[in-house]
Amino acid sequence: MNRIRPLAATLAAAAFLLAACGYDATPVPKAKSDEPTAASSSKPVQCDDPTQSYAPSNDRAKAVAELKNKGRLVVGVSGDTFQMGFSDPVDGELKGFDIEFAKAIAKALGVSLDLRVISAADRTKLLDDGTIDMVARNMTVNCERWEQVAFSSVYYNATQKVLVRKDQAASYQGPASLADKRVCAPTATTSLARVAEVAPGATPVGAKNHTGCLILFQKGDVDAITGDDTVLAGLAAQDPYAVVPPQQTKLSDEPYGLAFDKNAVDLVRYANSVLQQMRTDGEWQKAYTTWLKPYLKVDTTPPAPVYGR
Amino acid sequence: MSQTATPQAAPPPPPPPAAATAVAAPAAAPVVAQAAPSYVDTPALLNRWQLIGMSVAIVFGLVSALVQFVGWQTDGRAAADTDQLLRVQTIKSSLLSADATATNAFLRGGLEDAGQRGAYDQAIQSVLKNIAAAADAQPADRAALEQLNVKVTDYTTAVAQARDNNRQGFPIGAEYLSGASISLRADGNALSILDALVKSNQQRAEDAMGGQHPFWLLILGIVALGVLFWLNRELAQRFRRRINKGIAIAALIVLGVTLVTVVGAWIRDSSNDSLREGEFAKAVAEANARTEGNDAKANESLRLIKRGSGTTYEDEWQKSADKVAASGTSSLGAWNAYAATHTEIKKLDDDGNWEQARKLALGQSVTDFDKFDEAAEAAASKNGDTAAEDLRSGRSLALVLSGLTILLGIAASVFLARGIGERRKEFS
Repeated sequence: MNRIRPLAATLAAAAFLLAACGYDATPVPKAKSDEPTAASSSKPVQCDDPTQSYAPSNDRAKAVAELKNKGRLVVGVSGDTFQMGFSDPVDGELKGFDIEFAKAIAKALGVSLDLRVISAADRTKLLDDGTIDMVARNMTVNCERWEQVAFSSVYYNATQKVLVRKDQAASYQGPASLADKRVCAPTATTSLARVAEVAPGATPVGAKNHTGCLILFQKGDVDAITGDDTVLAGLAAQDPYAVVPPQQTKLSDEPYGLAFDKNAVDLVRYANSVLQQMRTDGEWQKAYTTWLKPYLKVDTTPPAPVYGR
Repeated sequence: MSQTATPQAAPPPPPPPAAATAVAAPAAAPVVAQAAPSYVDTPALLNRWQLIGMSVAIVFGLVSALVQFVGWQTDGRAAADTDQLLRVQTIKSSLLSADATATNAFLRGGLEDAGQRGAYDQAIQSVLKNIAAAADAQPADRAALEQLNVKVTDYTTAVAQARDNNRQGFPIGAEYLSGASISLRADGNALSILDALVKSNQQRAEDAMGGQHPFWLLILGIVALGVLFWLNRELAQRFRRRINKGIAIAALIVLGVTLVTVVGAWIRDSSNDSLREGEFAKAVAEANARTEGNDAKANESLRLIKRGSGTTYEDEWQKSADKVAASGTSSLGAWNAYAATHTEIKKLDDDGNWEQARKLALGQSVTDFDKFDEAAEAAASKNGDTAAEDLRSGRSLALVLSGLTILLGIAASVFLARGIGERRKEFS
């Protein structure tokens, strides 16, 4: 017995020391769910005519006085909406249909143009906090937004449509075909809210922007993308397996306006005068022909302005 | 020696007690009722003492050797853990360097610069090779490294898609790129896995550096000497010899071994403490500074790619810059030069001079940043190598000493056995 005790003590000590030699496995952090979240539809706001803007004015001094930064027009634009507002990978320049209007207004004001790429969800917020003077980012004019910002007269009449996979284009019969499908649109846009209205069986999926929707589409995370025909044409141009079925009817009208701070009425009036000039001197048509006509493949004319607000 | 007294013989057995407890006992069996004789069985006692003494000497040798062996082992583990820490930090730096290069190449626009493409490929190769090496070196990191491998593959795939689309002039390329950069930094993705790996390996290395136990060795020696002292006293009382020669030699061996091993462990412990606060801490700081610096450079490019929507990217740049400044890097001068160029880029961009800001980000900023990156990488590597080499140095001597301790423990037990054996001879 006496011989066993020291031996047991030795072994116990050895076991204790060696037990401390093991390594705990490195904990693996868990990823947050990458599932895109659906946006909620916004509360409807009623008004007489959202396309109605302020009458044009040529008072440049008053307009310039309302700029947030002296001598600069800071405009929020899209950097990834092919043909509307995008950063050209070849030279890094921001180009597109929307950009043409920003350039024309800055030129008329006699100030330098500072283009800022912003997301659709940030449009109103950045106008509110004074970061930017104007939004030229395929922004639909509606009553709800008039509560937050001031719009120019409508500079383009887009329509909301749906983009699907090439092999499903022929069988697409309108919103009813979207039942049980995951449909993507940028968060906080009218397009996403419209999906819930016209296709209640569909699952709306929000993304940061339409290009983000195209990435989800290419990964197979969504089945369709909804948005303005101008935007969808740009997406389809980047992916041969993405098609905007030509036989579909529009889901809604999406009149585009340039957005300003709600109190910058003189700036809006001056922008309206520039837009009017572009409608009449052929600049609007030139911009359309350069950027949109090759993809939309239809002739169109500038929308008639509505004033009286 | 003072073995002058004659051996004390065992006392004669005492007379049997009279009529003890015989009240109820039958008269025919009086012997059964007698108490056991109270004499001392000296040979058995000597045997017992010999066994105790030898056991103590051998256990002392074994446990002391084991404690030294554990110290030897933990020093080796500390060196391996330091290597692993530097490895995962290199993975993180290389991954962020790849991201900084990819975003900068996108900012350049047009046809990708062959040099930047090569730098990106080299950084990703370094990431993948080091992941394989790290998984081989530390099994406890394998689960995390498996996940990291998946995330790095996701990242490189997204960057490849970004390039493909970019070359066709499609803006979706930039979206793939920014998505890849954002995902890299998302919770549960590559960088958070690497943060967990860095944290675990830093903790392991620091714990292992505290693996020397001079106090345990001291306690062990004192206990062994205490037992030997007690044994000698018992013998002295029985045999009228103050000191037993064998026990004295055994005690001297235990004392010598204890002194040498305690001093040795204490020196290693102090050296490890110095390393932990010195080269090791510097290596960690330099590597951290480099990863944060690369993170900042990537955010600078993303800010400009996103054309001023990048308040988020600028906030992230500032967070990284603050960490670099607080890291204690020896390359702070180079960092400050780069940070000054970045401040100019920010001002140009804020003032609406995006094109000039872009030129600066592609030119002077890259030059300044590369100086910082190279200096921080060299400093991290140098300090890390020094720390690991120092932890490995002298380990073979510690192992020899550990083996020698066992032999000396056995030798002590032999001397002790002989010492008590002499008493046995004297008794008989």
